[in-house]
Amino acid sequence: MERTAELEVAQWSARRRADGARGFVVTLGVCVLAAAVLATWLPLQVSIITVFLFAGPHNWFEFRYFLMRLPARFGKSRKFFVTAFAGIGFLTVSYVSLPFVYQNVFWSNETWLVVLASWNTLLLAWLVVLIRLRAKQKRKADWTWTTPVLLAIAALNWLGPEFFSLALVYVHPLVALWFLDRQLKRTRPAWVGAYRRCLCALPLILAFMIWQLSQTPTLNDDNGLFWRITQQSGAQLLPQVSSHMLVSVHLFLEMLHYGVWIVALPLIGTGFWRFKTSQKKPARTVLLILGLVGVAILWFGFATDYTNTRDLYFTIAIAHVLAEAPFLLKTL
Amino acid sequence: MKTLASLACLLFLVILSTQTAFADIAKPKPPEQQSKMLMSRRLEIVPDQKFDQARLQISQSDFQELRAALNGETGSNTTIAASIAQSPTRTIVAGALLFLSVSFAGVWLARRSSATRARKAIAAGVVVVAMLGAAAIITRGNAGPPPGWLSWKDLSKNFSQGKATSGRMVIEIVPDNPDSPGIKLLLPTKPKDGPAE
Repeated sequence: MERTAELEVAQWSARRRADGARGFVVTLGVCVLAAAVLATWLPLQVSIITVFLFAGPHNWFEFRYFLMRLPARFGKSRKFFVTAFAGIGFLTVSYVSLPFVYQNVFWSNETWLVVLASWNTLLLAWLVVLIRLRAKQKRKADWTWTTPVLLAIAALNWLGPEFFSLALVYVHPLVALWFLDRQLKRTRPAWVGAYRRCLCALPLILAFMIWQLSQTPTLNDDNGLFWRITQQSGAQLLPQVSSHMLVSVHLFLEMLHYGVWIVALPLIGTGFWRFKTSQKKPARTVLLILGLVGVAILWFGFATDYTNTRDLYFTIAIAHVLAEAPFLLKTL
Repeated sequence: MKTLASLACLLFLVILSTQTAFADIAKPKPPEQQSKMLMSRRLEIVPDQKFDQARLQISQSDFQELRAALNGETGSNTTIAASIAQSPTRTIVAGALLFLSVSFAGVWLARRSSATRARKAIAAGVVVVAMLGAAAIITRGNAGPPPGWLSWKDLSKNFSQGKATSGRMVIEIVPDNPDSPGIKLLLPTKPKDGPAE
Protein backbone atom coordinates (compact mmCIF):
# COMPACT_ATOMS: atom_id res chain seq x y z
CA MET A 1 0.00 0.00 0.00
CA GLU A 2 2.77 2.38 1.03
CA ARG A 3 4.78 1.36 -2.03
CA THR A 4 1.88 2.11 -4.37
CA ALA A 5 1.50 5.55 -2.82
CA GLU A 6 5.22 6.21 -3.31
CA LEU A 7 4.98 5.12 -6.94
CA GLU A 8 2.02 7.44 -7.50
CA VAL A 9 3.90 10.34 -5.94
CA ALA A 10 6.92 9.59 -8.14
CA GLN A 11 4.74 9.41 -11.25
CA TRP A 12 3.00 12.64 -10.27
CA SER A 13 6.27 14.50 -9.80
CA ALA A 14 7.63 13.11 -13.09
CA ARG A 15 4.48 14.32 -14.87
CA ARG A 16 4.85 17.71 -13.22
CA ARG A 17 8.46 17.96 -14.31
CA ALA A 18 7.49 17.02 -17.87
CA ASP A 19 4.67 19.63 -17.85
CA GLY A 20 7.09 22.23 -16.54
CA ALA A 21 9.62 21.42 -19.27
CA ARG A 22 6.87 21.61 -21.90
CA GLY A 23 5.73 25.00 -20.61
CA PHE A 24 9.32 26.22 -20.57
CA VAL A 25 9.93 25.06 -24.16
CA VAL A 26 6.67 26.64 -25.43
CA THR A 27 7.42 29.96 -23.70
CA LEU A 28 10.99 29.90 -24.99
CA GLY A 29 9.84 29.14 -28.53
CA VAL A 30 7.23 31.91 -28.53
CA CYS A 31 9.73 34.45 -27.16
CA VAL A 32 12.42 33.49 -29.70
CA LEU A 33 9.99 33.69 -32.62
CA ALA A 34 8.59 37.03 -31.39
CA ALA A 35 12.13 38.40 -31.11
CA ALA A 36 12.94 37.20 -34.64
CA VAL A 37 9.77 38.79 -36.10
CA LEU A 38 10.32 42.13 -34.33
CA ALA A 39 14.01 42.26 -35.25
CA THR A 40 13.19 41.53 -38.89
CA TRP A 41 10.23 43.89 -39.13
CA LEU A 42 11.50 47.15 -37.57
CA PRO A 43 15.17 46.65 -36.72
CA LEU A 44 16.22 50.24 -36.02
CA GLN A 45 13.16 51.27 -34.05
CA VAL A 46 13.05 48.08 -32.00
CA SER A 47 16.79 48.35 -31.34
CA ILE A 48 16.33 51.83 -29.84
CA ILE A 49 13.45 50.70 -27.62
CA THR A 50 15.16 47.47 -26.57
CA VAL A 51 18.39 49.15 -25.51
CA PHE A 52 16.46 51.89 -23.70
CA LEU A 53 14.31 49.48 -21.72
CA PHE A 54 16.53 46.48 -21.10
CA ALA A 55 20.21 47.41 -21.31
CA GLY A 56 20.45 48.72 -17.74
CA PRO A 57 18.19 46.14 -16.06
CA HIS A 58 19.99 43.24 -17.75
CA ASN A 59 23.28 44.57 -16.35
CA TRP A 60 21.73 44.73 -12.90
CA PHE A 61 20.50 41.13 -13.14
CA GLU A 62 23.90 40.02 -14.35
CA PHE A 63 25.59 41.89 -11.50
CA ARG A 64 23.24 40.22 -9.05
CA TYR A 65 23.98 36.80 -10.51
CA PHE A 66 27.73 37.39 -10.27
CA LEU A 67 27.37 38.52 -6.65
CA MET A 68 25.45 35.35 -5.95
CA ARG A 69 28.13 33.19 -7.53
CA LEU A 70 30.96 34.98 -5.75
CA PRO A 71 32.24 32.82 -2.89
CA ALA A 72 32.20 34.34 0.59
CA ARG A 73 35.89 33.45 0.96
CA PHE A 74 38.08 32.98 -2.08
CA GLY A 75 40.21 30.27 -0.43
CA LYS A 76 41.83 28.14 -3.13
CA SER A 77 40.24 30.33 -5.81
CA ARG A 78 42.06 33.48 -4.63
CA LYS A 79 44.55 33.40 -7.53
CA PHE A 80 41.77 32.85 -10.02
CA PHE A 81 39.64 35.74 -8.78
CA VAL A 82 42.59 38.12 -8.36
CA THR A 83 43.60 37.42 -11.98
CA ALA A 84 40.00 37.80 -13.09
CA PHE A 85 39.42 41.16 -11.38
CA ALA A 86 42.83 42.54 -12.34
CA GLY A 87 42.16 41.59 -15.96
CA ILE A 88 38.67 43.09 -15.93
CA GLY A 89 40.04 46.32 -14.45
CA PHE A 90 42.99 46.68 -16.80
CA LEU A 91 41.16 45.68 -19.96
CA THR A 92 38.17 47.91 -19.18
CA VAL A 93 40.31 50.97 -18.46
CA SER A 94 42.42 50.45 -21.58
CA TYR A 95 39.32 49.88 -23.70
CA VAL A 96 37.49 52.95 -22.39
CA SER A 97 40.61 55.06 -22.97
CA LEU A 98 40.81 54.08 -26.65
CA PRO A 99 38.20 56.64 -27.87
CA PHE A 100 40.06 59.42 -26.00
CA VAL A 101 43.36 58.37 -27.57
CA TYR A 102 41.59 58.26 -30.93
CA GLN A 103 40.50 61.88 -30.49
CA ASN A 104 43.79 63.28 -29.29
CA VAL A 105 46.50 61.30 -31.06
CA PHE A 106 46.90 61.00 -34.78
CA TRP A 107 47.78 57.47 -35.73
CA SER A 108 47.55 55.90 -39.14
CA ASN A 109 44.87 53.35 -39.94
CA GLU A 110 47.49 50.59 -39.74
CA THR A 111 48.63 51.70 -36.27
CA TRP A 112 45.04 51.60 -35.08
CA LEU A 113 44.66 48.08 -36.38
CA VAL A 114 47.81 47.06 -34.47
CA VAL A 115 46.44 48.69 -31.30
CA LEU A 116 43.12 46.89 -31.73
CA ALA A 117 44.82 43.56 -32.43
CA SER A 118 47.04 44.04 -29.35
CA TRP A 119 44.03 44.68 -27.12
CA ASN A 120 42.30 41.59 -28.47
CA THR A 121 45.46 39.54 -27.90
CA LEU A 122 45.71 40.73 -24.30
CA LEU A 123 42.12 39.64 -23.85
CA LEU A 124 42.91 36.19 -25.24
CA ALA A 125 46.03 35.91 -23.10
CA TRP A 126 43.98 36.78 -20.01
CA LEU A 127 41.50 34.09 -20.99
CA VAL A 128 44.28 31.51 -21.41
CA VAL A 129 45.57 32.28 -17.91
CA LEU A 130 42.07 32.04 -16.43
CA ILE A 131 41.41 28.72 -18.14
CA ARG A 132 44.69 27.29 -16.89
CA LEU A 133 43.98 28.45 -13.34
CA ARG A 134 40.50 26.97 -13.47
CA ALA A 135 41.81 23.73 -14.99
CA LYS A 136 44.10 23.29 -11.99
CA GLN A 137 41.03 23.21 -9.76
CA LYS A 138 39.35 20.61 -11.93
CA ARG A 139 41.78 17.75 -11.95
CA LYS A 140 39.66 15.43 -14.06
CA ALA A 141 39.12 17.89 -16.90
CA ASP A 142 41.75 18.29 -19.60
CA TRP A 143 41.52 21.80 -21.00
CA THR A 144 45.01 21.85 -22.53
CA TRP A 145 43.52 22.04 -26.03
CA THR A 146 42.20 25.53 -25.33
CA THR A 147 45.71 27.04 -25.49
CA PRO A 148 46.43 26.14 -29.16
CA VAL A 149 42.90 27.06 -30.17
CA LEU A 150 43.12 30.47 -28.48
CA LEU A 151 46.54 31.02 -30.07
CA ALA A 152 45.06 30.23 -33.49
CA ILE A 153 42.23 32.71 -32.81
CA ALA A 154 44.82 35.30 -31.79
CA ALA A 155 46.64 34.70 -35.09
CA LEU A 156 43.44 35.23 -37.06
CA ASN A 157 42.79 38.35 -35.01
CA TRP A 158 46.09 39.84 -36.23
CA LEU A 159 45.09 39.23 -39.82
CA GLY A 160 41.78 41.09 -39.49
CA PRO A 161 41.37 42.74 -36.09
CA GLU A 162 38.21 44.62 -37.05
CA PHE A 163 36.52 41.49 -38.39
CA PHE A 164 37.55 39.57 -35.32
CA SER A 165 35.98 42.21 -33.08
CA LEU A 166 32.83 42.27 -35.18
CA ALA A 167 32.54 38.49 -35.00
CA LEU A 168 32.74 38.71 -31.24
CA VAL A 169 30.01 41.35 -31.13
CA TYR A 170 27.70 38.80 -32.72
CA VAL A 171 28.87 35.87 -30.60
CA HIS A 172 28.75 37.64 -27.23
CA PRO A 173 24.95 37.54 -26.80
CA LEU A 174 25.10 33.74 -27.09
CA VAL A 175 27.10 33.50 -23.86
CA ALA A 176 23.85 34.15 -21.98
CA LEU A 177 22.45 30.93 -23.46
CA TRP A 178 25.46 29.08 -22.06
CA PHE A 179 24.82 30.58 -18.61
CA LEU A 180 21.19 29.49 -18.88
CA ASP A 181 22.29 25.98 -19.76
CA ARG A 182 24.54 25.80 -16.68
CA GLN A 183 21.84 27.22 -14.42
CA LEU A 184 19.27 24.73 -15.74
CA LYS A 185 21.70 21.92 -15.07
CA ARG A 186 21.97 23.10 -11.47
CA THR A 187 18.35 23.84 -10.70
CA ARG A 188 16.18 22.10 -13.36
CA PRO A 189 18.19 19.19 -14.76
CA ALA A 190 15.01 17.67 -16.22
CA TRP A 191 14.66 20.65 -18.57
CA VAL A 192 18.20 20.56 -19.96
CA GLY A 193 17.41 18.09 -22.75
CA ALA A 194 14.39 20.06 -23.96
CA TYR A 195 16.36 23.30 -23.76
CA ARG A 196 19.24 21.93 -25.81
CA ARG A 197 16.82 20.64 -28.44
CA CYS A 198 15.36 24.15 -28.60
CA LEU A 199 18.83 25.54 -29.12
CA CYS A 200 19.14 23.42 -32.26
CA ALA A 201 16.37 25.55 -33.81
CA LEU A 202 18.41 28.71 -33.33
CA PRO A 203 20.73 28.21 -36.35
CA LEU A 204 17.66 27.43 -38.47
CA ILE A 205 15.95 30.68 -37.41
CA LEU A 206 19.15 32.62 -38.07
CA ALA A 207 19.57 30.97 -41.47
CA PHE A 208 15.96 31.82 -42.35
CA MET A 209 16.45 35.45 -41.28
CA ILE A 210 19.65 35.74 -43.32
CA TRP A 211 17.96 34.16 -46.34
CA GLN A 212 14.97 36.49 -46.08
CA LEU A 213 16.96 39.67 -45.47
CA SER A 214 20.07 39.18 -47.59
CA GLN A 215 18.47 40.88 -50.62
CA THR A 216 16.74 43.68 -48.72
CA PRO A 217 17.82 47.26 -49.48
CA THR A 218 20.22 49.05 -47.18
CA LEU A 219 18.58 50.73 -44.18
CA ASN A 220 18.16 54.47 -44.37
CA ASP A 221 20.80 55.59 -41.89
CA ASP A 222 21.04 59.31 -42.66
CA ASN A 223 19.92 59.96 -39.09
CA GLY A 224 22.95 60.02 -36.78
CA LEU A 225 21.45 57.53 -34.37
CA PHE A 226 20.46 55.09 -37.10
CA TRP A 227 23.96 55.39 -38.54
CA ARG A 228 25.44 54.46 -35.16
CA ILE A 229 23.24 51.38 -34.96
CA THR A 230 24.17 50.17 -38.44
CA GLN A 231 27.87 50.78 -37.76
CA GLN A 232 27.65 48.78 -34.56
CA SER A 233 26.28 45.85 -36.55
CA GLY A 234 29.17 46.03 -39.02
CA ALA A 235 27.63 47.89 -41.96
CA GLN A 236 30.84 49.85 -42.44
CA LEU A 237 33.04 46.76 -42.43
CA LEU A 238 30.73 44.76 -44.67
CA PRO A 239 29.43 47.25 -47.21
CA GLN A 240 28.41 44.46 -49.60
CA VAL A 241 26.02 42.96 -47.06
CA SER A 242 22.55 44.38 -46.49
CA SER A 243 22.62 46.56 -43.38
CA HIS A 244 19.02 45.52 -42.71
CA MET A 245 20.18 41.94 -42.36
CA LEU A 246 23.12 42.85 -40.13
CA VAL A 247 21.06 45.01 -37.77
CA SER A 248 18.22 42.47 -37.60
CA VAL A 249 20.49 39.54 -36.80
CA HIS A 250 22.42 41.50 -34.19
CA LEU A 251 19.23 42.81 -32.62
CA PHE A 252 17.72 39.32 -32.52
CA LEU A 253 20.76 37.98 -30.67
CA GLU A 254 20.73 40.94 -28.30
CA MET A 255 17.05 40.40 -27.52
CA LEU A 256 17.80 36.76 -26.68
CA HIS A 257 20.64 37.93 -24.44
CA TYR A 258 18.41 40.38 -22.57
CA GLY A 259 15.59 37.84 -22.37
CA VAL A 260 17.81 35.24 -20.77
CA TRP A 261 19.17 37.58 -18.09
CA ILE A 262 15.95 39.45 -17.28
CA VAL A 263 13.29 36.77 -17.74
CA ALA A 264 14.60 33.22 -18.08
CA LEU A 265 17.29 33.04 -15.42
CA PRO A 266 15.28 34.72 -12.62
CA LEU A 267 12.15 32.67 -13.39
CA ILE A 268 13.53 29.16 -13.77
CA GLY A 269 14.12 28.60 -10.12
CA THR A 270 15.03 29.73 -6.69
CA GLY A 271 18.69 29.03 -7.33
CA PHE A 272 19.03 32.32 -9.15
CA TRP A 273 18.00 34.32 -6.09
CA ARG A 274 19.97 32.40 -3.48
CA PHE A 275 23.13 34.01 -2.13
CA LYS A 276 25.90 32.23 -0.33
CA THR A 277 24.74 32.29 3.27
CA SER A 278 28.07 33.48 4.60
CA GLN A 279 28.22 36.54 2.34
CA LYS A 280 28.10 39.90 4.04
CA LYS A 281 24.51 41.02 3.69
CA PRO A 282 24.87 44.81 4.20
CA ALA A 283 27.68 45.15 1.63
CA ARG A 284 25.69 43.11 -0.86
CA THR A 285 22.57 45.21 -0.34
CA VAL A 286 24.51 48.45 -0.75
CA LEU A 287 26.03 47.19 -4.01
CA LEU A 288 22.64 46.16 -5.36
CA ILE A 289 21.09 49.53 -4.43
CA LEU A 290 24.00 51.29 -6.15
CA GLY A 291 23.30 49.12 -9.17
CA LEU A 292 19.66 50.23 -9.18
CA VAL A 293 20.75 53.87 -8.96
CA GLY A 294 23.01 53.22 -11.96
CA VAL A 295 20.05 51.82 -13.93
CA ALA A 296 17.97 54.91 -13.05
CA ILE A 297 20.82 57.21 -14.16
CA LEU A 298 21.10 55.28 -17.41
CA TRP A 299 17.38 55.69 -18.08
CA PHE A 300 17.63 59.39 -17.32
CA GLY A 301 20.58 59.66 -19.72
CA PHE A 302 18.69 57.83 -22.46
CA ALA A 303 15.70 60.10 -21.99
CA THR A 304 17.88 63.23 -22.12
CA ASP A 305 20.37 62.38 -24.86
CA TYR A 306 19.83 58.94 -26.28
CA THR A 307 22.66 58.87 -28.83
CA ASN A 308 25.51 59.93 -26.59
CA THR A 309 24.25 57.85 -23.66
CA ARG A 310 24.11 54.85 -25.95
CA ASP A 311 27.71 55.42 -27.04
CA LEU A 312 28.85 55.84 -23.47
CA TYR A 313 26.90 52.80 -22.30
CA PHE A 314 28.27 50.47 -24.95
CA THR A 315 31.81 51.57 -24.17
CA ILE A 316 31.55 51.07 -20.41
CA ALA A 317 29.52 47.88 -20.84
CA ILE A 318 32.72 46.10 -21.84
CA ALA A 319 33.23 45.51 -18.10
CA HIS A 320 30.17 43.25 -17.83
CA VAL A 321 31.18 41.40 -20.96
CA LEU A 322 34.61 40.71 -19.52
CA ALA A 323 33.14 39.69 -16.17
CA GLU A 324 31.18 36.93 -17.88
CA ALA A 325 34.41 35.03 -18.65
CA PRO A 326 35.53 34.10 -15.12
CA PHE A 327 32.01 33.47 -13.86
CA LEU A 328 31.21 31.22 -16.78
CA LEU A 329 34.46 29.34 -16.19
CA LYS A 330 33.47 28.88 -12.55
CA THR A 331 30.22 27.22 -13.61
CA LEU A 332 32.01 24.71 -15.86
CA MET B 1 -32.73 34.67 -73.58
CA LYS B 2 -33.40 37.69 -71.41
CA THR B 3 -31.15 36.28 -68.73
CA LEU B 4 -28.40 35.67 -71.27
CA ALA B 5 -28.67 39.27 -72.49
CA SER B 6 -28.48 40.54 -68.90
CA LEU B 7 -25.42 38.40 -68.24
CA ALA B 8 -23.75 39.65 -71.42
CA CYS B 9 -24.45 43.26 -70.36
CA LEU B 10 -23.05 42.58 -66.91
CA LEU B 11 -19.93 40.99 -68.39
CA PHE B 12 -19.49 43.95 -70.72
CA LEU B 13 -19.80 46.34 -67.76
CA VAL B 14 -17.25 44.39 -65.74
CA ILE B 15 -14.77 44.39 -68.65
CA LEU B 16 -15.34 48.10 -69.17
CA SER B 17 -14.81 48.92 -65.51
CA THR B 18 -11.64 46.85 -65.49
CA GLN B 19 -10.30 48.86 -68.41
CA THR B 20 -11.24 52.07 -66.61
CA ALA B 21 -9.53 50.87 -63.48
CA PHE B 22 -6.35 49.97 -65.41
CA ALA B 23 -6.43 53.38 -67.07
CA ASP B 24 -6.29 54.99 -63.62
CA ILE B 25 -3.22 53.09 -62.51
CA ALA B 26 -0.20 55.32 -62.48
CA LYS B 27 2.80 54.48 -64.63
CA PRO B 28 5.22 52.23 -62.77
CA LYS B 29 7.97 54.32 -61.24
CA PRO B 30 11.48 53.56 -62.44
CA PRO B 31 13.38 51.69 -59.74
CA GLU B 32 15.10 54.12 -57.41
CA GLN B 33 18.85 53.93 -57.71
CA GLN B 34 20.52 53.55 -54.38
CA SER B 35 23.91 54.70 -53.29
CA LYS B 36 26.51 52.09 -52.43
CA MET B 37 29.06 52.32 -49.64
CA LEU B 38 32.26 50.68 -50.75
CA MET B 39 34.99 51.22 -48.21
CA SER B 40 35.94 53.11 -45.10
CA ARG B 41 39.15 55.06 -44.64
CA ARG B 42 40.65 57.80 -42.54
CA LEU B 43 40.39 61.23 -44.19
CA GLU B 44 42.81 64.04 -43.49
CA ILE B 45 42.11 67.61 -44.51
CA VAL B 46 45.36 69.57 -44.77
CA PRO B 47 45.63 73.26 -45.63
CA ASP B 48 48.64 73.63 -47.92
CA GLN B 49 50.00 76.82 -49.49
CA LYS B 50 51.98 74.93 -52.13
CA PHE B 51 48.95 74.10 -54.29
CA ASP B 52 46.64 76.45 -56.14
CA GLN B 53 43.94 73.79 -56.57
CA ALA B 54 42.28 71.37 -54.20
CA ARG B 55 43.64 67.85 -54.51
CA LEU B 56 42.17 64.52 -53.56
CA GLN B 57 45.00 62.09 -52.90
CA ILE B 58 44.25 58.39 -52.71
CA SER B 59 46.76 55.56 -52.47
CA GLN B 60 47.14 53.18 -55.39
CA SER B 61 46.08 50.17 -53.34
CA ASP B 62 42.98 51.96 -52.08
CA PHE B 63 42.12 52.98 -55.60
CA GLN B 64 42.48 49.40 -56.82
CA GLU B 65 40.33 48.20 -53.98
CA LEU B 66 37.73 50.81 -54.80
CA ARG B 67 37.66 49.68 -58.40
CA ALA B 68 37.39 46.06 -57.39
CA ALA B 69 34.54 46.79 -54.98
CA LEU B 70 32.72 48.84 -57.59
CA ASN B 71 33.07 46.03 -60.10
CA GLY B 72 31.30 43.74 -57.67
CA GLU B 73 34.24 41.68 -56.55
CA THR B 74 34.12 40.29 -53.06
CA GLY B 75 34.92 43.45 -51.20
CA SER B 76 35.65 42.10 -47.79
CA ASN B 77 37.99 39.42 -49.09
CA THR B 78 39.84 41.95 -51.19
CA THR B 79 40.12 44.22 -48.18
CA ILE B 80 41.51 41.50 -45.94
CA ALA B 81 43.93 40.26 -48.57
CA ALA B 82 45.14 43.77 -49.31
CA SER B 83 45.33 44.60 -45.64
CA ILE B 84 47.43 41.53 -44.86
CA ALA B 85 49.71 42.10 -47.81
CA GLN B 86 50.31 45.69 -46.74
CA SER B 87 51.04 44.93 -43.14
CA PRO B 88 54.27 42.99 -42.54
CA THR B 89 54.09 43.61 -38.77
CA ARG B 90 50.68 42.05 -38.38
CA THR B 91 51.56 39.21 -40.73
CA ILE B 92 54.69 38.39 -38.72
CA VAL B 93 52.81 38.43 -35.41
CA ALA B 94 50.00 36.31 -36.89
CA GLY B 95 52.54 33.83 -38.25
CA ALA B 96 54.35 33.59 -34.91
CA LEU B 97 51.07 32.99 -33.05
CA LEU B 98 50.01 30.39 -35.58
CA PHE B 99 53.36 28.65 -35.17
CA LEU B 100 52.89 28.59 -31.39
CA SER B 101 49.36 27.33 -31.84
CA VAL B 102 50.43 24.42 -34.04
CA SER B 103 53.30 23.61 -31.66
CA PHE B 104 51.04 23.50 -28.61
CA ALA B 105 48.46 21.48 -30.53
CA GLY B 106 51.18 19.00 -31.54
CA VAL B 107 52.32 18.57 -27.96
CA TRP B 108 48.74 18.09 -26.83
CA LEU B 109 48.01 15.49 -29.50
CA ALA B 110 51.26 13.67 -28.79
CA ARG B 111 50.38 13.43 -25.11
CA ARG B 112 47.06 11.96 -26.07
CA SER B 113 48.60 9.42 -28.46
CA SER B 114 46.68 6.62 -26.78
CA ALA B 115 43.48 7.92 -28.34
CA THR B 116 42.25 6.39 -31.58
CA ARG B 117 42.25 8.24 -34.89
CA ALA B 118 38.47 8.65 -34.90
CA ARG B 119 38.54 10.06 -31.40
CA LYS B 120 41.23 12.50 -32.44
CA ALA B 121 39.11 13.68 -35.37
CA ILE B 122 36.10 14.10 -33.08
CA ALA B 123 38.25 15.95 -30.59
CA ALA B 124 39.45 18.33 -33.31
CA GLY B 125 35.84 19.07 -34.30
CA VAL B 126 34.82 19.59 -30.72
CA VAL B 127 37.78 21.91 -30.19
CA VAL B 128 36.65 24.15 -33.04
CA VAL B 129 33.01 24.24 -31.93
CA ALA B 130 33.84 24.70 -28.27
CA MET B 131 36.24 27.53 -28.97
CA LEU B 132 33.69 29.38 -31.01
CA GLY B 133 31.65 29.45 -27.83
CA ALA B 134 34.61 30.30 -25.64
CA ALA B 135 35.52 33.15 -27.93
CA ALA B 136 32.18 34.69 -27.03
CA ILE B 137 33.53 35.35 -23.57
CA ILE B 138 36.29 37.52 -24.85
CA THR B 139 33.99 39.77 -26.78
CA ARG B 140 34.71 43.43 -27.09
CA GLY B 141 31.03 43.98 -26.38
CA ASN B 142 28.88 46.14 -28.48
CA ALA B 143 30.94 49.24 -28.48
CA GLY B 144 31.45 51.10 -31.70
CA PRO B 145 33.63 53.99 -32.77
CA PRO B 146 33.09 57.45 -31.25
CA PRO B 147 30.54 59.75 -32.95
CA GLY B 148 31.82 60.97 -36.32
CA TRP B 149 31.32 64.70 -35.65
CA LEU B 150 33.87 64.68 -32.82
CA SER B 151 36.70 64.26 -35.32
CA TRP B 152 35.61 67.28 -37.34
CA LYS B 153 34.50 69.67 -34.62
CA ASP B 154 37.75 71.65 -34.75
CA LEU B 155 38.03 71.67 -38.53
CA SER B 156 37.41 75.40 -39.06
CA LYS B 157 39.74 76.37 -36.21
CA ASN B 158 42.48 74.01 -37.39
CA PHE B 159 42.02 75.11 -40.97
CA SER B 160 42.41 78.78 -40.09
CA GLN B 161 45.54 77.93 -38.09
CA GLY B 162 46.94 75.87 -40.94
CA LYS B 163 46.68 72.61 -39.01
CA ALA B 164 45.52 69.25 -40.31
CA THR B 165 42.26 67.57 -39.19
CA SER B 166 41.52 63.91 -39.66
CA GLY B 167 38.72 61.41 -39.08
CA ARG B 168 36.97 58.39 -40.51
CA MET B 169 35.38 58.63 -43.93
CA VAL B 170 33.20 56.34 -45.99
CA ILE B 171 33.60 56.31 -49.75
CA GLU B 172 30.15 56.17 -51.26
CA ILE B 173 29.25 55.88 -54.92
CA VAL B 174 26.01 57.74 -55.66
CA PRO B 175 23.87 57.57 -58.83
CA ASP B 176 24.67 60.07 -61.56
CA ASN B 177 22.95 63.42 -61.09
CA PRO B 178 23.43 66.23 -63.64
CA ASP B 179 22.49 68.88 -61.04
CA SER B 180 25.08 67.82 -58.52
CA PRO B 181 28.74 68.90 -58.51
CA GLY B 182 31.29 66.24 -59.43
CA ILE B 183 32.58 65.21 -56.03
CA LYS B 184 30.95 66.11 -52.73
CA LEU B 185 32.45 65.82 -49.24
CA LEU B 186 29.87 65.61 -46.45
CA LEU B 187 31.19 66.20 -42.95
CA PRO B 188 29.12 65.39 -39.86
CA THR B 189 28.39 68.27 -37.49
CA LYS B 190 27.42 68.31 -33.83
CA PRO B 191 23.67 67.90 -33.34
CA LYS B 192 22.05 71.09 -32.08
CA ASP B 193 19.10 69.29 -30.53
CA GLY B 194 17.64 65.82 -30.68
CA PRO B 195 19.48 62.63 -31.43
CA ALA B 196 20.41 63.40 -35.02
CA GLU B 197 24.05 64.11 -35.69
